[in-house]
Amino acid sequence: MAMFNQQVGLQGLLKDGGKHFSGVDEALLKNIEACKNLAQITKSSLGPYGMNKLIVNHLGRHFVTSDTNTIVTELEVMHPAAKLIVMAAKSQEQESGDGTNLCVSFGGELLLRAEELLKEGIHANDVYKGYELARDKALECLNAQVAWSCEDLKSVEQLTKCVKTAISSKQLGCEGPLAKLVAEACVQVMPPTPSKFDVDNVRVTKVQGGNLNSSFVVEGMAIARRSSGVENCKEKAKVAIYAEALELGSTETKGTVLLESAEQLMNFSKGEEQKMEEMIRAIKEVGVDVVISGGTISDMALHFLNKYKIFALKINSKFELRRVCRTVGATSIVRSGPPLPEECGYVESIKVEEISSEPFTIIKTRDSKISTVVLRSASPNVLDELERAIDNAVNVVRCTARDPRFVAGAGATEIELAHQLQQFGATVPGLDQYAVLKFAEALEVVPKILAENAGHSHVDAITALYAAHQKGETAAGIDVDAGPVCNALEKGILDHMETKRWAIRFTLDAVLTVLKVDQIIMAKQAGGPKGGGDGNRDDD
Amino acid sequence: MSSLELINPNAEHISKSQALMINMAAAKGLQAVLRSNLGPKGTLKMLVGGAGQIKLTKDGNTLLHEMQIQHPTATLIARAATATDDTVGDGTTSTVLFTGELLKQAERYLGEGLHPRVVVDGFDVAKAKLMEFTDSFAKEFPDLAQDREQLCNIVRTTLQTKLRVELVDKLTDIVVDALLCIRVPEQAIDLHMVEILHMQHKLDLQTRLVRGLVLDHGARHPDMPSHLEKVWIMTLNVSLEYEKSEVTSNFMYKTAEERENMVVAERKFTDDKVKQIIEFKKQLVADNPGTTLLIVNQKGIDPPSLDMLAKEGILGLRRAKRRNMERLTLACGGVQINSVEELSQDMLGFADEVYEDTLGEDKFTFIEGVRNAHSCTILVKGQNPHTIAQIKDAIRDGLRSAKNAIEHPKLLAGAGAYEIAAHQFLIKEKDNVKGRAKLGVQAFADALLIIPKSLAENSGFDLQDTLIELQEAYQKDPANPVGLDVVSGKPIFPEQQGIWDGMIVKKSVVHLSTILASQLLLVDEMMRAGRGSRPKDPNMPEM
Repeated sequence: MAMFNQQVGLQGLLKDGGKHFSGVDEALLKNIEACKNLAQITKSSLGPYGMNKLIVNHLGRHFVTSDTNTIVTELEVMHPAAKLIVMAAKSQEQESGDGTNLCVSFGGELLLRAEELLKEGIHANDVYKGYELARDKALECLNAQVAWSCEDLKSVEQLTKCVKTAISSKQLGCEGPLAKLVAEACVQVMPPTPSKFDVDNVRVTKVQGGNLNSSFVVEGMAIARRSSGVENCKEKAKVAIYAEALELGSTETKGTVLLESAEQLMNFSKGEEQKMEEMIRAIKEVGVDVVISGGTISDMALHFLNKYKIFALKINSKFELRRVCRTVGATSIVRSGPPLPEECGYVESIKVEEISSEPFTIIKTRDSKISTVVLRSASPNVLDELERAIDNAVNVVRCTARDPRFVAGAGATEIELAHQLQQFGATVPGLDQYAVLKFAEALEVVPKILAENAGHSHVDAITALYAAHQKGETAAGIDVDAGPVCNALEKGILDHMETKRWAIRFTLDAVLTVLKVDQIIMAKQAGGPKGGGDGNRDDD
Repeated sequence: MSSLELINPNAEHISKSQALMINMAAAKGLQAVLRSNLGPKGTLKMLVGGAGQIKLTKDGNTLLHEMQIQHPTATLIARAATATDDTVGDGTTSTVLFTGELLKQAERYLGEGLHPRVVVDGFDVAKAKLMEFTDSFAKEFPDLAQDREQLCNIVRTTLQTKLRVELVDKLTDIVVDALLCIRVPEQAIDLHMVEILHMQHKLDLQTRLVRGLVLDHGARHPDMPSHLEKVWIMTLNVSLEYEKSEVTSNFMYKTAEERENMVVAERKFTDDKVKQIIEFKKQLVADNPGTTLLIVNQKGIDPPSLDMLAKEGILGLRRAKRRNMERLTLACGGVQINSVEELSQDMLGFADEVYEDTLGEDKFTFIEGVRNAHSCTILVKGQNPHTIAQIKDAIRDGLRSAKNAIEHPKLLAGAGAYEIAAHQFLIKEKDNVKGRAKLGVQAFADALLIIPKSLAENSGFDLQDTLIELQEAYQKDPANPVGLDVVSGKPIFPEQQGIWDGMIVKKSVVHLSTILASQLLLVDEMMRAGRGSRPKDPNMPEM
């Protein structure tokens, strides 16, 4: 009697292959276990002495990275609870672009502590309430921790200070030159209202070969492609940008050439040539020396461009073309015909250069809205990792532009929060106080891992830190080099405050959700390829 | 061997008390799952889909929809329960709980040899009496649409069972404001006029009501303004791109020049329309200095047309959704324009501000500051898809319950008060019932108590103690319905606390559950004809 199978409870009602877990032991503790394991993976990557992971993803691509976002993306976490933590990390990446490791490690630690409480018999609801209470208190305390504010977003020096910590956690040893590159690039494109700073305006072009020290910043763009025509270099030139292909216009309705004699055939091509020449001449007459096209440049057009000594460049990507427009200050033209004066852009110089035997068209402008970091390094993996470090750093600049406040890094803030929470916890009546204290303990995870990864004894380090904070040295953090304790501010180790705040919020959100779930109902794993996004996006 | 197996050896079938057992087991199993959902203190369920997608919910309706139920009886109950939701917008969990409990109570008597028909007769008597009682128990609020506070109470009661507290307070205001915004006196409320849009970022607490409209797409031209003030809004339904002729057509040309002319002529048709709009805009701005124009077109706008519009500082949105076109005129005023000839100012809508927001690659256009809007947008925010889905489901239920309340302004005291009062009433009425139907009435009355029982259980209080305390409190003063305070476990007066349920919800729950339970009780044979489609499980005992 397969139809009325006699399994008891929910299991008997569900479709075959479905799974169902409920209660603290089955659902909650299992979930916590999964999250702990995830945190275990990312923990060792925290901080400047964090280890790298080598990940081979399902496409066989290799990643060598200590960037948590990349790790959790490529790991393809399937466990539902661990996925919640991954989602928190992703939201963090989207919101701040940094601090993802804090999310995962802290989340894992919080759940680990929660597990201890649950096993002691405290109800999940009390843990939930306590964590909520502690979060609110921690966020409140965080405000008082401001150690430094970035006042001038146009100053390379100050921005360098902002991004240095973020970079050093990814690329220890390179933080000096890298931070400077990033700061330079960001300052160039910093808009008058800094809150409108767009990370998309700082581009990274990776070139294999050479070393980091030969990297440089271009005020403008570097495009990995040579010019289509014979012209290779133009200075102080007017630019016209065509969104469509550079060829003679054709009708939307199908057209047929109706020829009755050989003469007509000859005249037809002649006429086409004439038309094309007229068009290119008209462009030249406006004073344009550089033509950039978003589509193909027909051979005939190229011939005349060469004839009139016009620099011709083809750009395939629509988005890249928009960036070029922004760089040179031009409007892309959707018709054929000469540009109006206000549609033209201007470049200081545009030339084809060879960098490690790759052709690059370098466009330089004044007051560019886009700047490009040309990164040089030996291997693709290192380049990718450098790029991720730069991405993080640029995101820090973006966050700084919105909120210039920084707190002391190196675990100093976490310990200070833990310290204050412990005092606060003692005043909380009821069972939630255990959870508040556990929250404080969980905060210790940051300095603990920092010390551990740097090879120091974490017990000594935490003890020394607490001693220092007890004395009121709120900026005392882990010294990864000499150990155990240093003044984070003096060493210039600064973390962005809002980033921390979001990390705590997102982490807690995920953790609290995990704690709230008491039943999991899983459908049978679907076979076949995963459904992609919807295919009917309105793309240009 | 039964007669069925003689006719079709492949058929499966179960009969008599065994069939009843199976029905009961399914109803109870389903009840067990949903039981912990009920009330503000209910726990969350995590549903994991086939592709690993996560859904977190406390909402019975969502749960029953998403759970892949296969058991035939359970499916029947689940379908019926979700049907309650479709008609009245709430009450799914209650339906499942009540159905399960009716069967459970009936089981006691059936075990003692009572015929199911007798129980069912008792149910019917009890139901009829209860319906009368409900009408007298309910309080009428004729001017509910004017009474914002009372509306908030109803919505809050619904939302509380689906979301956490901070969010409930926030969403209650949003939902009530949205509903009052779209309500036109003397007309049925069309909930589709509330656009629910989500942006996946920030925190769920940043969900807000936009008085105006948010469109989930942006301008397709980099030079179009991303921020406009004092905006005229043109709701357009005219294609601004080249449309192919309906007949097969072909151009013939002999020279490049001829072709060039044809290209120009082909464009002219579209360009003329755009030019007309631009002329109109110039006149409009000349008449009303400082104003700007937004065009929302249901059809396409091709790049050259976009370019022309951008040069005039007009923001043009193309391929807007049809439902938004309808909402747009309701939100901002004006009419939908189907031709660019004879444009006039009174065909346009107006808003104080239009701006664009980008989230990763997605663009959103906000139209805010409209006058006298009859459409609005609830902008849901949240950090991950499951939070957003949860909020969306809750908003949907909140809107429905508010709508129901306005259309059927009779309310019942919540927090289990109605069930306790009804139980008390039926026990008294039982004496007036003659014969064995009494037993059915008794079972029915006891089954009602599942609601306060589950509420107490989910809030972590002792079941019996709490229930008895509530009943005693009610007996002392039957004029004031008594409900359960989920925080303290003590009796409260829900009418004073503002905990209200819609009467039609409760009525349909009782009605539907009774029918369901009666039908399940009266089944004495279950069969499945045809070939056994699945391989036989060797572990499964043969019948």
